[in-house]
Order: sequence, then structure tokens, then C-alpha cells
Amino acid sequence: MPPALEASGVTKRFGAVVALNDARLTVGRGEVHALLGANGCGKSTLCKIIAGTVARDDGEIRVAGEARALASPRAAEAAGIALYYQELSLVPQLTVAENVFLGHEPRGFGGFVDETTLNDRTDLLIGRFAGVAGEGFTARTRVSDLSPDQRQITEILKVLARKPRLIIFDEATAALDRRQVDVFFSIMKDLRAEGISSIFISHRLDEVFRVADRITVMRNGATVADFATAETTPEAIVREMVGDVRLGPKGGTAAPAEAAEIRLSVEGVTGGRLQGVSFAARRGEILGLGGLQGQGQKRLLAGLFGADPFTGGRVLLDGEPVAPRRPADAIAAGFGLVSGDRARDAAFPGRSILENAAMASLVRDKARLILLGPLRSRFSRTLSGLKTRYAGLNAPIGSLSGGNQQKIFIARWLAARPSVLLLDDPTKGIDLGAKADFFAIVRALAGTGATILIYSSEDADLLSLCHRVLVFNGGRITADLTGSTLDAMALTRAAYGEAA
Amino acid sequence: MATLLDGRLWLITLTALLVLVGVNAALQPNFLEPSVLQSNLTTFLPLVLVAIGQTYVVLAGDIDLSVGAVVALVNVTTVSVIAALGGDSQSVLAGLAAGIGVGIACGLVNGFFVAVLRFQPIVTTFATSIVFAGLALRILPDAGLPVPEAYWRGYAGGLFGVPTVVLVLAAALVTIAVVGRRPFFTRLRAVGGQRTAAFQTGLSVGRLRIAAYVLSAVFAALASLCLTGETASGDPLMGQTLALSSISAVVLGGTALAGGVGGPFGSLLGALVLGMIGNVIFFAGLPFEYQTLVQGLIVLAALAGGVLVARR
Repeated sequence: MPPALEASGVTKRFGAVVALNDARLTVGRGEVHALLGANGCGKSTLCKIIAGTVARDDGEIRVAGEARALASPRAAEAAGIALYYQELSLVPQLTVAENVFLGHEPRGFGGFVDETTLNDRTDLLIGRFAGVAGEGFTARTRVSDLSPDQRQITEILKVLARKPRLIIFDEATAALDRRQVDVFFSIMKDLRAEGISSIFISHRLDEVFRVADRITVMRNGATVADFATAETTPEAIVREMVGDVRLGPKGGTAAPAEAAEIRLSVEGVTGGRLQGVSFAARRGEILGLGGLQGQGQKRLLAGLFGADPFTGGRVLLDGEPVAPRRPADAIAAGFGLVSGDRARDAAFPGRSILENAAMASLVRDKARLILLGPLRSRFSRTLSGLKTRYAGLNAPIGSLSGGNQQKIFIARWLAARPSVLLLDDPTKGIDLGAKADFFAIVRALAGTGATILIYSSEDADLLSLCHRVLVFNGGRITADLTGSTLDAMALTRAAYGEAA
Repeated sequence: MATLLDGRLWLITLTALLVLVGVNAALQPNFLEPSVLQSNLTTFLPLVLVAIGQTYVVLAGDIDLSVGAVVALVNVTTVSVIAALGGDSQSVLAGLAAGIGVGIACGLVNGFFVAVLRFQPIVTTFATSIVFAGLALRILPDAGLPVPEAYWRGYAGGLFGVPTVVLVLAAALVTIAVVGRRPFFTRLRAVGGQRTAAFQTGLSVGRLRIAAYVLSAVFAALASLCLTGETASGDPLMGQTLALSSISAVVLGGTALAGGVGGPFGSLLGALVLGMIGNVIFFAGLPFEYQTLVQGLIVLAALAGGVLVARR
């Protein structure tokens, strides 16, 4: 009998960035198959390709022995594949039942929706989580009224209701408590007994060893190993995830002396995923926020920048408490932010390079009158140091590549002289050359005494740039790596919740 | 209160409507007589129909500014077809069919640009409204071309003692109920509520949005046929205010412009509220030059009230 899924030689590029170069995955029938790898290794991209939400460039995928194009979510569903979405696929305005059976509504007389059956079948599904589902969770509850764990359970029920032959669970346990995880695992065992296969992605290695039959490890867009769980160990898995990469050069900046003053002090902040995070950063320090994606790192940066204020705790800047309620407050206090999502957070499309570069200074100086001459001379000096090639300061920002745009956006803050620069996955989608230039600018800025906080979805960035890395897991800092303790192995182990 | 109103914002609209009916009955003693009610319903019916259709588009997260122009285009098409075929009862039926057909075509055009080519709904339907209005002027440059007596007599009269306008309203209610219980309606709200989630779930987002535009245009065509029964002739400038009035009615009826929340029954009530506000002002004996100003302020207050209650 052919395996439930056989993917080989799968490749995918996003612009200049290679997400997958040789991904392979074979999942047997009725098998729980864990897919592991460090951030940015391509496991989520591979899953999205299998589920039909991202189109592959090349490679073959066979489902139950049959070659499939999987060009759309509908095509994947027709092939019996269901993806549990880490980024929720629920419609908050609809009820639990309407969401669970969306697109597969049970019909009665004349093709009308059979509401009774719809709700009864949903309540039956919710019953599988009896005792751990929490208050006010019925078929008729609107999804917007559910707690995060109940939404996650609803996602799981939605997948189950589709009666697929292969389910991809991408971080399906992230918001669940221990008892809910236990129920979820017993459901996975039931699925296995029914001959339904599942691909399981989790950032908790202990969970993987509890539930998976086999484990595939990916690194840098390629599959590097495939084990039977019983024949391997967590240590061997982590070693495969990290590979034998040597530490990159540490860069030209020496770590700040222990004596350097504390610039930023964060005390027990909460909000979103953050469960009370405390740390201090010195002048001139480049501090990395590590760990797997979605563990609260981005939330911390959004809180510091006032874009999504903290709900508790406090922040001290040079000893003074600051509590920005909106980005303008944070900028006035001396924070700057460079985001990897340039289209959403940074670019004023269609406007000139000069305008894009000057924006932060104009906000900070509370400029009422803009004199183009002085502005131009000020920025042509800043920009000439960036190794950026452009047709002229009046050229539209869109005429630059992503990497060169990112240099303009960091130049915004060079002129505004921030005391703390926040970098939110700043190298997303930019090529290696531009990345090296960008890092050089960051190091130079730190050399002038600015404190840098950087979150990156690529561990290699943190390793080559940071003096110190705080590892986040489930909204808490679980490790503080610096000097001799800061290497790829330790970072991966800490991210997966293993004691470093 | 919050749980009672959950998803039933039209209850507020219903309350407002009952208050207006009470005020109107006090100001105009014969308001509740059948003939007066019928004439009021005749006046309100076109907006009611257009608002119901508009609701489906808004629920899907889009907007249709072309409904007024669709009304005009359907009107001139219908009267021209009837006149060209000689004006007997057969030609009236052909005219009605042609009008509905033109409505469907307009909806498909809107849906194609918005859902297939992914143009901005607000600008696209504004542009198509100019095209539809231009076509209407091309077909019938000047108002005129009376419809046969059978048409307007049939519309003003009734069937088995029930006025035609009541039958049309009843048919609209049945349509609302039928559509509301199809899987289509849930999927439409999913598309408007969270489009990426709807796509990831495997819904045909494009087809659903096109269907909503077609529904909207068909309801606009029906409204046009009713208006034609009332005015008994062709008018290429008919229905110009209907697009924005219908959107006001949809919002008054508790449907969110962001999509996903609400339903056509609320819009029906919202359209009646808009009509009644005009009535009450007229019978309150306000000087003519103040009527439009006061009407605008009341509509603004009603919208603000609905928004404030919904936000709580």
C-alpha cells in the first residue's frame, strides 16, 4: 500500500529568498509524523504547499500514491488533506458550529442548512473535550466570544469535521493547557487507530517524543534526516536541526563593558502572550530576542514602541519610567523601530526616498515647516554612508530593492538618534549582501551608545549580530545566553524547551 | 441587553420604526387606514427592495454604488421593450423579463470587476454606475414612453383582494427567509467576516462575491419594475438617490459596513424607518425649507445611535 503522503524534491522561492530547495517528506498511513527544524527552515512553507495555500515551484507530491498538483486549498481538501492553521482560519462573526462546518454544512429538505444537525454534530465534537473545554463553549457560541484556547479547540474540531485522510497540525497545542493537550493527544491516537495520518509540528520536544511515530528534520529549506522516534533521542534531533554550522564572525564591535550603564530596564511586562517579562539592556548592547516564532518577541517590541501597549509591568529608560500609549510617545521618548514588514509598517509607497528617510526626524523635531534644501543636504550625507545605490533622493522608494529599502528605513532613525532601536525581523526577504550592510549599520549605531533590541525569525542573524540573546518560550524568557553559552546548539535547545 | 441584542440589532430598528409609526399616526389621524398604508408602502417599496439587495453585497465586505443606475437602466429597457413589441400583455411580460435580465447582467459586470479583476468595490461600482446611467440615457434620452394601462393598473391593484405591493413585500420576505437558510448565506458572511479564513477553508470567495452583486442588481431591477408601475413611464434619471439611501438603510438595520454581521431583514426595517422619517417631518408641518435639513439630522442621529448601541 502506498504511503499517505510522499513529497520529494519540493522547491520554493519567494523573490530572491529560497524558502525550500530540497524538501522531502514521507508519511505512512495511520502514522503521526513530527516535522521539526529551527526557525526559517521551511517547515511551515512545506505544510502550506501540501495544504494548497502556497504553490510550489518544483517537486512531486503523491497522495496515497497519486501525483497531485494541490493548486488550491480546495484541491488539497479534495485529496483528503486538512491543515490546522496556526494563524487562525476562523470567522469571528460566525458561531462555533457555522465555523466548524463552513463549506460542508449538513443539509436537510430542499438543500437548506439543517441547523439542528449542524448544532448537534458540533456539540458532539465539543464533547470530545468534555471537562476541559471551559465555560460557555457550545455550538451556538459566537467565535468572537471564545477564549484563545477555545478557539484553538474549535480549529481542531473544524479539521476533524472534514474527515480528512491526512491532517497537518501546525503548532496545534500552543494555546492549550496541559489537560487539553492530553485530550488532544488521545484524539490523535484515535485518528491513528482509524488509519488517518497526521503531520505534527510543535515547539515542545517532549510532546513530539510522546506522540510521534516518526520524525523528519529540516534545515535551511532541505530535509536532512528521518528517524523512527523509538530509535532516536532529543539530543540527536537537536544536533540535526542545528547542523555543523560554525559560528559566524562576531562582527567589528566588542561587547559593551559590564560597567556600561543600564539604558533600558523592563520589569514584569504583560500583554498578549507575554506572561511577565523582565530584563535589562546596557548602552551599546545588541540584545537578541530568540526562540521559536510567536513566543511573544514581536509583542514585546510592539509594546515598547507603543503600537500595542502593555497591560502590566513597567519600563524604565535611563532610570525614568516610560509608558508609551502610541508610537508618537515612544518616538518622543527615544525609541525607534525598523520592521521586516516594510509594506505594512514602514514604507510610504510612491513617495520619494528623501521623504521616506526624513519621516522620523520630522516627527521627532515636531517640524512645522519643511525646508527641502537643508533636509536634502542632511540626508544625502546620512544616505551616502549606507552603500545604497539610488537614482536620486527624489526617486520613489519602490525603485529600490527590499534590502536597500531597509537601509533607508534604518537611516530614518540614524538621523533621529534613538536611544533604543527596536528591530522586528528586519532582514525578512532581503538578500545576503544587503543583510551584511544592514548589520554593519546596526553595529555602528550600537557603537555610538544606542541599545539595540532585535527579533529575527532566523537564528543565524542573532548569532552573528548579538552580544546576548534572551530566549522566549510561551511568553516567558527561558534562557539568557551570552559569550561562551551563546551558540546555535544552545539556542535551539532553549527554544525547544530543553535545559541548555 | 447585550445578549438579547447579540446579532439582533434590528430589534433597535424595529423599536424606532414603531415609535415613528406612533408619531405619524398621532400627526395624521387617517394614517392607519388601508388605503393610506398602501400608498405609503408603494412609496417605500423601491428603497426596501434595493436595501435588501445591497445587504448581501455589504455582508460580503463589499459595497454597490451602482444600484441607482441599475434602476434607471432597467426602467428604460423595460419601457422600450414594451413599446417596441406593441404594448399588449405579452409585450409587458417580455419587458419585465428584459428588465430582470439587464439587472443580472449589471450584477455580473460589477462582480467580474470586483471579484475577478479585484478592483476596489467603491470606485468600481461608482464607475459602473456612470456607465449604466450613460447606457440608460442612450436608450431613452428623454423621459416619456408611457407603459400600457395593464401594467400600472396591475401594480396599483391587487390579486384576490391583496394589494400587489403587499404581495411584493411578502415575496421579498420569503426570499430573505429562503436565502438566509441556504449555506450560501453563512458562507457569504464568512467571506465578509474574515476573507482569508474563508479562502483557507476552501470557499469559492470570488463566486460568492459575484453572486452577492447579482442578487443586489436583481433586487434593484425589481425595485425599478415597481417604480415603473408607480410612475407608468420611462425616466433615464430614475433612482439617483437610491444607492446612498440603501446603504443608510443597511447600516440603520444593524449590518456592519465592514461585513460579516447583520442581515437583510434589518435593512428592510431600516428602509421603512428612512421612509417614515420623511413622512413624520411632512406631517409635523415644518416649513418646507427646513424639511431636508431636519431629515438629514434625524438620519444622522439614528445612525449614530445605532453605532453607539452596537459598540457597547
